[in-house]
Amino acid sequence: MSIAVAPAVVLERSVPMAGAVELVLSHPPSAVAVGPGQFFQLAVSAPHTILRRPYSAAWSDPAGGRIGFIFNVVGTGSAWLAARDEGDELDLLGPLGRGFDLEGQRPAICVAGGLGVAVFPGVVQALIARGRNVIVLQGARTAAQLLPASRFPGADVHVATDDGSAGHRGSVVDLFSNLGEGQSGGIDILTCGPTPMLTALIDVAHRQAIPLSDIQVALETPMGCGIGTCLGCAAPRAAGGYFLTCQDGPCVRADRIEWELMTDGFHG
Amino acid sequence: MASMAERPDLKVDLGRGLHLRSPVIVASGTFGYGFDAPQVDRAALGAIVSKGTTLRPHEGNAPIRIAETPSGMLNAIGLQNPGVDHVAHVYAPQWATWDLPVIVNVAGDSVDEYVAVARRLNGVPGVAGLELNISCPNVQSGLQFGVDPVLAAEVTHAVRAVTELPLIVKLTPNVTDIVAVARAVEDAGADAVSAINTYVGMAIDVRRRRPIISRGSGGLSGAAIKPLALHAVWQLAAEVHIPVVGVGGIMTPGDALEFLLAGATAVQLGTVNYVRPQAAAEIHDGIAAYMVQHGLTDMRALPIRSVSVLTHV
Repeated sequence: MSIAVAPAVVLERSVPMAGAVELVLSHPPSAVAVGPGQFFQLAVSAPHTILRRPYSAAWSDPAGGRIGFIFNVVGTGSAWLAARDEGDELDLLGPLGRGFDLEGQRPAICVAGGLGVAVFPGVVQALIARGRNVIVLQGARTAAQLLPASRFPGADVHVATDDGSAGHRGSVVDLFSNLGEGQSGGIDILTCGPTPMLTALIDVAHRQAIPLSDIQVALETPMGCGIGTCLGCAAPRAAGGYFLTCQDGPCVRADRIEWELMTDGFHG
Repeated sequence: MASMAERPDLKVDLGRGLHLRSPVIVASGTFGYGFDAPQVDRAALGAIVSKGTTLRPHEGNAPIRIAETPSGMLNAIGLQNPGVDHVAHVYAPQWATWDLPVIVNVAGDSVDEYVAVARRLNGVPGVAGLELNISCPNVQSGLQFGVDPVLAAEVTHAVRAVTELPLIVKLTPNVTDIVAVARAVEDAGADAVSAINTYVGMAIDVRRRRPIISRGSGGLSGAAIKPLALHAVWQLAAEVHIPVVGVGGIMTPGDALEFLLAGATAVQLGTVNYVRPQAAAEIHDGIAAYMVQHGLTDMRALPIRSVSVLTHV
């Protein structure tokens, strides 16, 4: 796999759900094998910014020459990216990090909270292509902030909203808790979302005796370089010390994380 | 066939036999131990400065370790490193096979620790020099050496006594008189100084009502500090007799040229390595092009010390 700085042209810009932007870019030629869950560092030219912005590829279609990124506007960098239009050129560094481990034949449950859903279209597609049964559990504040179920063809999609405007009223972790009862063992769980959601999910796993090694988490931490040199993206390791989200992750098994330390100091 | 003017000589001499093929160096903490960042064109580099290395391994600070600020970034990594034995046993033998010198950045929280690290690295094949980090703002006692000329001289002198390697002392800008510290380490046996390390700064998350960096403060780097670093280099180049390595916010060939014109013998690239891995090659080529454009054949012709400026306003 080759990691390179490569230009990519914006082919399409759309709003896949309320508050989010999806940019479809020309696929960087160096990135023929983007693993689901891997990320790119996107250069931004917004005034007074300096660092690249890390984004997981939402999906990747090297044969079709296209790659998609879904994100929301949280600051000047993402606002600049969201303002790109068809024909604009972006500078991508990647693919970086470790994606999800999709080996095996067990059923898979993808648990997505908020913008954490952005990583899953490609993940679900890859799981389905491997002939696996896939359940997608997606949570958002309102129905408008859900990525449509049509983005997960072949999967069994269930949703939860804080305001009850679609699906279960409450947390996506409630959905998981209900579904998980009686299923302990024999499932692979892939998750991405705010830290409070992740820690709630881990609590459920403990209660239902689901081994944490069956859970893979796509972590989001503040990130500098993305290539292991700045040591800025440290996350607490269960064995003590820290691992680097950019190199050891972003997708890591939940038993490798010190969850007590994840509750403090991390962006939700 | 290219004439000399078209192929300027970019070699520089940092003293005690440390000759570099290029004035472009990657700064400590921004290039690991040289094994990552395959995107960077090694041919453009004169040297690599390693991550700050201590006697024993350090796990580093708890997250959050970095934050972006206007045109800059704060970091408080906490000297995460595998310790000098690992560096000497595992990394140095690989460096010995490279055609690119690796300078080990040495950190510690006592004179004894600096001396022990320097002693361990002396004579180790693959280690081309030492850069003494007396200015790391992230470990409390680290600051003290660099802010006091007497302490700075003491640690420099002690390390000088146990190593034959070229010795660069990296100065902190968090002082009232950086020239006084530079003179003191020159007198204590430093072969060169690098200026500057990061400025202490902070950022606060107003929504969560707490500092973004878990330690509260961090070291500020990036374009935001370039004019400050440049002024430090300008002052130092006029006042010390050893080479000054300019570092702080260099992002472009033009930035690097400013430092070289100000009197720096070489430059270090830091934060830009995170953003634009191709910057080292662009800066190398930009310096070469400038030399050609101005009919210069030797890096020593670049400084503009003779230009008169109003030094007091």
